[in-house]
Amino acid sequence: MPRPTGRWLIIGVAASWLLGVSYRPARAGAPGPNEPNPSRPSLAIIVNASNPVDSLSLEELRKVFLGERSHWPNGRRITLVMMEPGQAERQTLIREVCQMTETGFRQHFLHGLFTGEVFVSPKTLASPVGVRKFVFNVPGAIGYVRANDVDSSVKVLRVDGRLPGNKEYRLRIPPAAAP
Amino acid sequence: MSEPVPNAAPAPAPPRDRALGVFSRYPSALLLLVVFSVEVGVSMFVIRDVRTASVEAQQMYARSVLGLRQIGELQYQAQETRRSTLYALTTTDSNLQVEYADQSREADRRVTEGIAEYLKQARMPAEIEVGRGLHRDWSAYLRIRDEVLASILEGSAKEAVDADLSGGVPSFERVRQDLEQIKRLYDQQASEQLVRVGASSRRSIVRLVGVVCFTLIFATFAVWAIQRSRMLSAVQFAKLQLEFVASISHELRTPLAVIHSAAENIADGVVEGKEQLARYGAVIRNQSRQITDLVNEILLFASTRNKKNRYTLRPLQVSQIVDLAMENTALLVQEAGLVVEQQVEPDLPPIVGDLSALSHCLQNLIGNAIKYSGQSHWICVRALLDAARKTGNREIQISVQDRGIGIHKSDLPHIFEPFYRSPAVSAAQIHGTGLGLLLAKSIAEAMNGKLTVESKLGAGSTFTLHLPIPQQKQPPAAAGARRRDVVAQK
Repeated sequence: MPRPTGRWLIIGVAASWLLGVSYRPARAGAPGPNEPNPSRPSLAIIVNASNPVDSLSLEELRKVFLGERSHWPNGRRITLVMMEPGQAERQTLIREVCQMTETGFRQHFLHGLFTGEVFVSPKTLASPVGVRKFVFNVPGAIGYVRANDVDSSVKVLRVDGRLPGNKEYRLRIPPAAAP
Repeated sequence: MSEPVPNAAPAPAPPRDRALGVFSRYPSALLLLVVFSVEVGVSMFVIRDVRTASVEAQQMYARSVLGLRQIGELQYQAQETRRSTLYALTTTDSNLQVEYADQSREADRRVTEGIAEYLKQARMPAEIEVGRGLHRDWSAYLRIRDEVLASILEGSAKEAVDADLSGGVPSFERVRQDLEQIKRLYDQQASEQLVRVGASSRRSIVRLVGVVCFTLIFATFAVWAIQRSRMLSAVQFAKLQLEFVASISHELRTPLAVIHSAAENIADGVVEGKEQLARYGAVIRNQSRQITDLVNEILLFASTRNKKNRYTLRPLQVSQIVDLAMENTALLVQEAGLVVEQQVEPDLPPIVGDLSALSHCLQNLIGNAIKYSGQSHWICVRALLDAARKTGNREIQISVQDRGIGIHKSDLPHIFEPFYRSPAVSAAQIHGTGLGLLLAKSIAEAMNGKLTVESKLGAGSTFTLHLPIPQQKQPPAAAGARRRDVVAQK
């Protein structure tokens, strides 16, 4: 059995290696992964047209999608609508809004429902059209689709005061994930 | 062709005979006209009735049958709306639930459109009222349906079932009842329309039968009238021919008898002396001339009927015609002891015609005036220049007037018919062939003119020969010098 000092040393070395491997200096003029990039397709956050909320901060959005808020200001129960795992839109939302991985996101909901910390279980739909129709039918629903999949049947929320068409809009789908 | 005494004038022909007379003149044309008119009338009736029945049937189909179909479709779509909503309850797959929700919304859109269409077409107060009620109840049901759908999609099946049982079922039942009421209204309207179409159809049949009966009766009457008029015409013509034969026989027998007795007297040696013989010779000559004139008139009539008469047309002075006619009738005038007044305007323009024919025409008119002048013993021959009223063309009018017995109004239309002699004239033993006026008229028309008559019973008659003046004026001297013979076929 190694000594505790040696154990911490091994952990420190491994962590340093991991950090060194994962770190890539940003190229001059190119935005980082978390920075707005107007050339990438935007991810629109949509709610039912009757929802009184027009804008949310990224932090509020994170709480909503992590199930930490149960009701809208008008008293309607929040219903989360997610796309199936593996979809670029879902990956983007989990990474950019929830700041988690797919596994972490799943574990969060399993754990939260078990402990009672999470109030809402997300509904999973296969297509952006299904998401849009779900949001259209359920007054308290919130979901996400690509900005060009949005139509007049739903309302697009501002995130940090910006709409998907804005250059500073932060929720964008990375190229590898974009079709 | 006048009547001798007013009290011997025949009674005017009855209206039926006058109508038959018209039929007798133009039977084929009138028959065609009658048949055409009746056919047009019947066709119009039939077309109108068929169109009315067709329009009523179309309205009935449009309002009732199509209406019932629309309501059937509405019922189906309403059921589909509810069925799709309930299907969403049977699954936990959100994708399927969204699909069912979509189907339900598609069906409810069709129902909403159908209700709007029904309200647009509704005219009667009952229809409008029930349509509005349906619209109200359907909107109420849709509000509950939306809640139910939202609950289902949220995953709250219990809430969805509770909402549907408490609100959805009763509101949908109201919608169903509204639709049933509309259906009953359509049924009622269809029944009423059916009764109306039936009544209209019966009316049409009655009208058609009436029109057909009327047509048959009318056609039968027309055929009867035409046949009768033809028969009357044939009888009348035969009668006229018999009268003509009798008249001619009489006209021939009288001079022949005179000639016969004169010849017998001469043969028996009764006639003595040169002077007496000369008198008998003159009698025989006069009677022979009478017979010759009569035969010539008949031959002229025959040639007129065969349309083989030829006239030599040339420029003529009016005075030539009048003088020749007066000369040829001088003996008759003298024998009758008449006063003839002659008024010929000076410097009348020449006309184009056949001198012999025109003179013959005028002689006929003068002869008639002599025969029918009665006790007045006066006739007048006038020639004057006049402008025709209608065309504005100038014409020469040569008229022969008498103050004799005149012509009855009912005889006037017939006096130019062949062999026609007024019954009163025949009864008065005034001899004639019934051809003189017809020949005069034929000659006038062959000269591009016409013959007219004005007469008043008991006051006398005036026959006027109208002769047109050629358009291109020729100097009288040149007209006399240049003889232009024109052969006209009459």
